[in-house]
Amino acid sequence: MSPRFEAFVVRLYTDAKLRDAFLVAPRAVARAAGLSEAEAVALEDVDRPGLELAARSFAAKRQGPPNAGAAGRRRWRLWPWRR
Amino acid sequence: MQAPDRIGIGWRPALAAAILAHLDQIDVVEIIADDHFGASARDLRALDTLAREAPVVLHGIGLGLASCVAVEGRRLEAMARLVDRLHPLFWSEHLAFVRGGGREIGHLAAPPRVEATIEGTASNVVRARSVVGASPLLENVATLIDPPGSDRDEISWIRQTCRAADVGLLLDLHNLHANAVNFGFDALATLDGLPLDRVVGVHLAGGRWISWGEHRRLLDDHLHDVPDAVFHLLEAVGTRAPRPMTVGLERDGAFPPMEHLLAELARARHALAVGRARRPRAAS
Repeated sequence: MSPRFEAFVVRLYTDAKLRDAFLVAPRAVARAAGLSEAEAVALEDVDRPGLELAARSFAAKRQGPPNAGAAGRRRWRLWPWRR
Repeated sequence: MQAPDRIGIGWRPALAAAILAHLDQIDVVEIIADDHFGASARDLRALDTLAREAPVVLHGIGLGLASCVAVEGRRLEAMARLVDRLHPLFWSEHLAFVRGGGREIGHLAAPPRVEATIEGTASNVVRARSVVGASPLLENVATLIDPPGSDRDEISWIRQTCRAADVGLLLDLHNLHANAVNFGFDALATLDGLPLDRVVGVHLAGGRWISWGEHRRLLDDHLHDVPDAVFHLLEAVGTRAPRPMTVGLERDGAFPPMEHLLAELARARHALAVGRARRPRAAS
């Protein structure tokens, strides 16, 4: 497991186009992203319902929870803590 | 004499006045550290006042310690400044990664449960301890996805990671409950597989069901009441975990009246007391 693997998983969670392509051809897309053969194989049997639900949940979090008001949205703005 | 268990709640702007008005029923207040990393002098003075009024703990959400990638020094330095200023009972972070390759996930993601993330977490904790001056408690996270690339179960990974990093555990019982119902294991039965001798903190929260097609999973959203199953787990942890615990209620929105939250704290206090009373006399 490598930083590159982590970065690829982050893209799966946050990039809908990549996720759609990955779900059609997981091994090929993972290899094309530079993952090792072992890492690509490890992703082949990904939990597909979980991936969709997690990606939706993360996207909602980036928007801020609907009932949390300004505080929730501010938290996400602060989280990346851009300089 | 052993320190007492403490029952508290998360500091949120919408609850601030009500928390300050009910400190007779709140033993400790948990502050989200990241919300104050870029805080104004006025905001920090308000935290100073809070910390004088009640014991506080600091809770991080954005360090991403459970990762093969080294934690950013500037984030640790910001945490260190808050710890130095507020003198919390402890500080904590999640067993999660939150970014990679220049992208932010926006929330806590469970890492692949493999040796590399155990080693990465341990390495990040060494760095955190060095910069902040104290070890964090590490908290188990809820996940909607079985973390890709894993080669072991969650309970084994938590146990091995806490041992490798030599840290205390902040056991989030709703996260454990959600993962149990989502991935088909018995949360109560798995408690003995966790390093309960390391449990120093406990989190309580609620959630809701979400679905994708025919698939349903329980989302830990901190917007709903603590379910009965979580109070039952707290009772069991009270019986089995030997150290004094700080129990915190997490509520991030859809706030009910404060009386409702105080009733949840009272129920937590009762559940923990019932569990403690069941401890064998020689063990208490």
